[in-house]
Order: sequence, then C-alpha cells, then structure tokens
Amino acid sequence: MTGPHVEKFIVPIGPQHPALKEPAHFEFTVDGETVTSASVRFGYVHRGLEKGAENRNWAQALYLLERVCGICSHAHSTVYSLGVERLAGVTAPPRAQAIRQILLELERIHSHMLWVGVAAHEAGFDTLFMYSWRDRETVMDILESFTGNRVNYSANVLGGVKYDLGPAQADSILSGLDYLEKRLHYYMKVVNNDESFLGRTRGVGTMTTEEAENLGAIGPVVRASGVSRDLRVDAPYLLYADFPINVITATAGDLQARFVVRIQELFESTRNIRALVEHLPEGELAVRFPRKVRAGETVSRIEAPRGGLFYFIKSDGGENPFRVKVRTPSLRNFMSVIVGAVGHQLADIPMILSGIDPCFSCNDRTVIVRREGRDGSAAPSESDSRKDSSS
Amino acid sequence: MKIGSMLGEIFKSVFRKPATVQYPYGDRKPVPERLRGTVRYNPEKCTGCTLCMMDCPANAIEIITIDKPNKRFIMRFHADRCTYCAQCVVNCRFKCIEMSNEEWERAALTREPFTVTYGRDEDIQKFLERTSLASTQEKP
Repeated sequence: MTGPHVEKFIVPIGPQHPALKEPAHFEFTVDGETVTSASVRFGYVHRGLEKGAENRNWAQALYLLERVCGICSHAHSTVYSLGVERLAGVTAPPRAQAIRQILLELERIHSHMLWVGVAAHEAGFDTLFMYSWRDRETVMDILESFTGNRVNYSANVLGGVKYDLGPAQADSILSGLDYLEKRLHYYMKVVNNDESFLGRTRGVGTMTTEEAENLGAIGPVVRASGVSRDLRVDAPYLLYADFPINVITATAGDLQARFVVRIQELFESTRNIRALVEHLPEGELAVRFPRKVRAGETVSRIEAPRGGLFYFIKSDGGENPFRVKVRTPSLRNFMSVIVGAVGHQLADIPMILSGIDPCFSCNDRTVIVRREGRDGSAAPSESDSRKDSSS
Repeated sequence: MKIGSMLGEIFKSVFRKPATVQYPYGDRKPVPERLRGTVRYNPEKCTGCTLCMMDCPANAIEIITIDKPNKRFIMRFHADRCTYCAQCVVNCRFKCIEMSNEEWERAALTREPFTVTYGRDEDIQKFLERTSLASTQEKP
C-alpha cells in the first residue's frame, strides 16, 4: 500500500443482508462503482444432512434428503431413489417412472417461474414478480392435488411412487398447463420487450461459451451461453429416452438469454408432461424394496431445475446408507458470479447473483481436505484443514 | 421495445378479485382429496409388526404392546414430530393407518395436544394405568 489513492475499498454483503434470502458472505472490491474483484464464503447453513442420512435407514434417508432443497425436493428424492434402486437391483415399474418424470417436469415449471419472479424482483420489476408468482400458484395447485403437498411432495417411495395419476389429476394437469402456457407466452413477450427491464438484463453478466466451459457452469446458465449440456439428453434416466426433450440453448450468454432459455425450457416441459399424461404406461405403482441393500457404490445424476444434480451413494450391505454425498448444481455456478461480477456496476450484482438461481442452503456441505506430504505420507491430523461449505 | 409493457395487465387486474384469500376468515379453498393430515390408526387389524415405527423418518409413531398373544396394540402418535410423508401408510400391509384430509389445522400453545393415543378404550386405560403405576414407583 503506497497511499490512500490505491487503497482497496471492499463492500461486504451478507451473511445477513436484506437483499439476500439466504446467508452467504460476499466481498466485492470496488473502484468507484465498478467491481474489480469478488469473493464468496458459504457454510452458514451447514445442516449435516449427509451425516444424518448415515444414521437413518434407507427409507428414512429418502425423506431427509428430500429436504436438502425446498424447491427441487422431488429431484433430490428421485435421484436418491434411482441410485438406491440401482444398488439394490430393483427397477421401479414404468408407470412409476412416468409419474416421477411428470412430477420432475412440474417441479421445473414451479422452480423456473419462481426464479422469473425473484430475478424480476432483484431488477426492481415487482409487477412481473407478483404476476408470475400468482400464476405459479396454478402449478402449485396441480402438485398439491396430485400429491397432497405443495412442497416436499413425498411422492416417491423406494421402488416406485405413492400416488397414481387418475383421470381427475390428468384433467387438472392438462387444463392447468393450457393456462400456464398462455401466461408463459405473455411473460416471454415482457422479458423480451420491456425497455426498462432489458436495460437491466441485456449485456449484463455475459458469459461466453468458452468462459462457461472453463468455469464449469451447469444447467440453464451454461445453456444460455450456447453449450448444449443437459443430463436428460446426455444420460437419459426414467423415461427421457422414450419421451425426449429438446435442449434449449441461446448464444448471448447474458441475463436476458437466461430468461429466454428458462422460459423456453418450460414450453419443452409442458410438451413433455402432455406426452407422458397421454401415453402413461399401465401397471403397478411400486415394487417391493428390500430392507437391506447389497454392498456397493453408485453415482446417480439427474437434471434438476438448476442443473445436474449429483449423488454418490455407498452401501456396506446394511440397513443404513454407509455414505451419501450430495453435490447440488448451484455450487458449480457460483464461480460464474465471482468472475462475471468483475467489471460490472455494484448495482448489477444482485441481478448477476440471482441470474444463476442460487440456492445457498443446498450448497453447504463439509469437505475435509487431507494435505499429503511431498513424500506421499499423510500430514499429521492437526494440519488437516477443514473447510465448511464447498463440496 | 416499449416502456410499461405490463400496464395492460395491471389495469385488467383492477377489476378482478384479489388472488389471495384471507385465511382463516372468509371463503376457504377446499383442501385437496389427497391432502396428508393427521395420522389415524385402526387397532382392529394391527398385528404389531412395527414396520410403520421402523421407517418413520421423524420417530412420530410408537406402537405399544398391551397383550401380544391377543394382538392388542395401541399407537401413540406425535403430531408435532410428524413430517406427514405417509411412509407409514405405505408400509402397513393391513391398511391400519390412514391420513385424514379433514384434520390438518393443528396449532396449539402447548405440546400436549399433539400427542394422540389411538386404540381400543380398554387398552388405552390399561396403558394409562401402567404408566401411572410406573411413575409412582419411580418417585420415591
């Protein structure tokens, strides 16, 4: 430091901050109003869910892991069920798989519509926020009439699903989707035409295809930068091979592109749900699941609304999981915020942050990094560095 | 490109009813048929396998044996711990457990009302006698 002119000015945001819905700590170094560097720290909502899963049996852990995320809860319970079923050598009946897929796509609609509202709110466009959330109630009502709950549907059991899709549910889904599609066309027009809103989104947080690849971004964020990456197509699970979706991509890579990609994805989701409801396979809802799962380990991945969701599950042949490792999609997108914030005005930061649809509580895991000595021997335990968050 | 692209929507909404409801006053929306409310237990068919208890993620269910040879069991249900996931309903092979879609508003100022004991009246009586006896023996 050579004088007051080169002193760094750091704006701390969080962990408790009125603009943040969940706790995380950001430090933005600014030069005037322009951000010159940024850093993030998580770990304020570490809940010990992975360890908790080890103390529960296979069925109980399903409901615990469903609560990793309040918005994509069905994605978490499905990815866990698929992994555990693979370990146990059990396959859910086709009808159950179709119902899981319908719920996953309904959840995507509810998650993306929630995001449209939150991102509009961060931009100061509260009208869009309120109306998109009002219309989001349609899909919440569908989910409630289908499973009995608005969030944490608990529709999965190991080996299948609990709730059948009867004619009454099919009707409510189809009529609800008709209304939602109409509204989504309208919102698409708003985000593409409203001049004041475009001022906040066009050219903000732009990420080129190369940057997106290098930063390891995932989900709609990377698709808005022109990378066709979607587990529903790259590694199809459930019935995505028979009822495929088209990957939506955009090339601009800015916030507006993310709006367009997310809303267009919803049209794909509604098309997919309609196809599934019309060609719902007949058969049972669930098969018997053993209490003990044979020893082994597996990786289970699905495309959650925010991107690829990763679970590692290990069994030692007992009634409880030996290890469950969760990697949620938000974590992979935070680097794009840290890098993307540089060069922007401080006022754009909430928009850039909400552009990745962050879910802080889902992120927080504990990772223990063991530093190995140069000669290959493990360093003494005192020097083990324990870091909260990052997984 | 235009300014105020949602103005039309706002004017339309001026003449509409509010989207929100004044819960718990006024007209209530009907609850869905599949709503998962309080757990209900039928002791007549229960064999005491305790599968519901074993898989409950919240330890909300206790199956207490009163007389095993005669298949007399009671259930203590802790509504304050329950996550309403319906795993117990799925696990029960004899359809003893169901979830009510009428009883779901369960606010209270103390925890006592949340513990519900289900079973035949005489079995509950026996259980209460047993617990009171145990507590008097413990006291001195």
